[in-house]
Amino acid sequence: MTNGSNDDTPAGSNDDMPAAATRDAANWAKKVSRLKVSQVPEGAVNLNVDGRQLTSPIQGFGKMWQKTYVVRLPSDRVAPADLIATWRKDFGDFWPPGNHFYAPLTGIEPGDVALLNMRMPGGTKLSTGVMVLYADEESFTLMTPQGHMFAGWITFSASRQDDATVVQTQVLMRASDPIFELALMMGGHRQEDRFWSQTLGNVAAHFGHPGAAVDTKVVCVDRRRQWSRWRNVWHSSAIRSAIYMLEAPVRGVRGLTHHQRPAH
Amino acid sequence: MTTREAVAHVRRRDGVAVIELVGDLNAAAESALDEAWTAATNTRPDAVVLSFENSGYINSTGIALVVGLLASARAHRIPIRAYGLTDHYRKIFEITRLADFMAIENDEDSAVQGIGGDKDG
Repeated sequence: MTNGSNDDTPAGSNDDMPAAATRDAANWAKKVSRLKVSQVPEGAVNLNVDGRQLTSPIQGFGKMWQKTYVVRLPSDRVAPADLIATWRKDFGDFWPPGNHFYAPLTGIEPGDVALLNMRMPGGTKLSTGVMVLYADEESFTLMTPQGHMFAGWITFSASRQDDATVVQTQVLMRASDPIFELALMMGGHRQEDRFWSQTLGNVAAHFGHPGAAVDTKVVCVDRRRQWSRWRNVWHSSAIRSAIYMLEAPVRGVRGLTHHQRPAH
Repeated sequence: MTTREAVAHVRRRDGVAVIELVGDLNAAAESALDEAWTAATNTRPDAVVLSFENSGYINSTGIALVVGLLASARAHRIPIRAYGLTDHYRKIFEITRLADFMAIENDEDSAVQGIGGDKDG
């Protein structure tokens, strides 16, 4: 995508609207009523994703936040399109250690569903996922399903500004349910800020600019909590992941007895 | 791919503020949209109607801007409706679940009158 206005098209003209409306069709995911995980990569836990609906920031419980993390690289290091191509291909490699993003082998493409296994405080693991809502040469967006820590989406983009390639992660979200809202208030926001700052730092380091400063801007878009959404807790990936972990010994015993049972 | 700079015009009709979006809805449209929203809600309208008749390309950042407007509308309890979306972008509004919160009408008359009713999700 090339930025800048097209001088041939006067403001207000809609002559090229059909082209505009269809030129990005391949960039958007197709409509899905419920998510389906087609492949589970080795080591990934497929939990809290299959059968879930997507949630926009409006479907969540907590305050709505827009968080923007930005790092600037010298433009001669990498062009925006090249940076995004690499980021889409190796997305999970830039995450802080201990967290896993299981993308399809082809990388990030619109409509793909990826599994996430996140490290949480206390040594627990949280299993959830995301769908790739949108992807083009200079940006891509992930959208969360029911039960994810937050309802919303994250847009990753790169653009040329003066002599810099500006790399940005922007999160638009509400905590999904009261428990996650409480967790965000009790250090979760700080943890998330650290997570994306580290990720952007890793991207910058990959392109030869280690130690680059990451700017963070946080705006509360809506201070109201949506109490009518408290029932979202039913889908909570935290609760369901914890139950899954607690049941691990039972599953292990069942697996053993199943293997030891003689065939009839 | 070329982009068209976003412009947003505000007019009033039957107590409803109509924000006419012209050009591409992407990150560059943020200030135009913010200014239009402020102008549209300075005097409290019965509803705000977003006209996409003359809008072009909408990317995911543009959708996020619309979410921001929805959040403001909900915070101030102002119904928000839309019209002029192509079939393609209607689908996008359904995928992103904006359609759960915003009545999408076929034309301006229907949107101003709120024929389809307002949604609160």
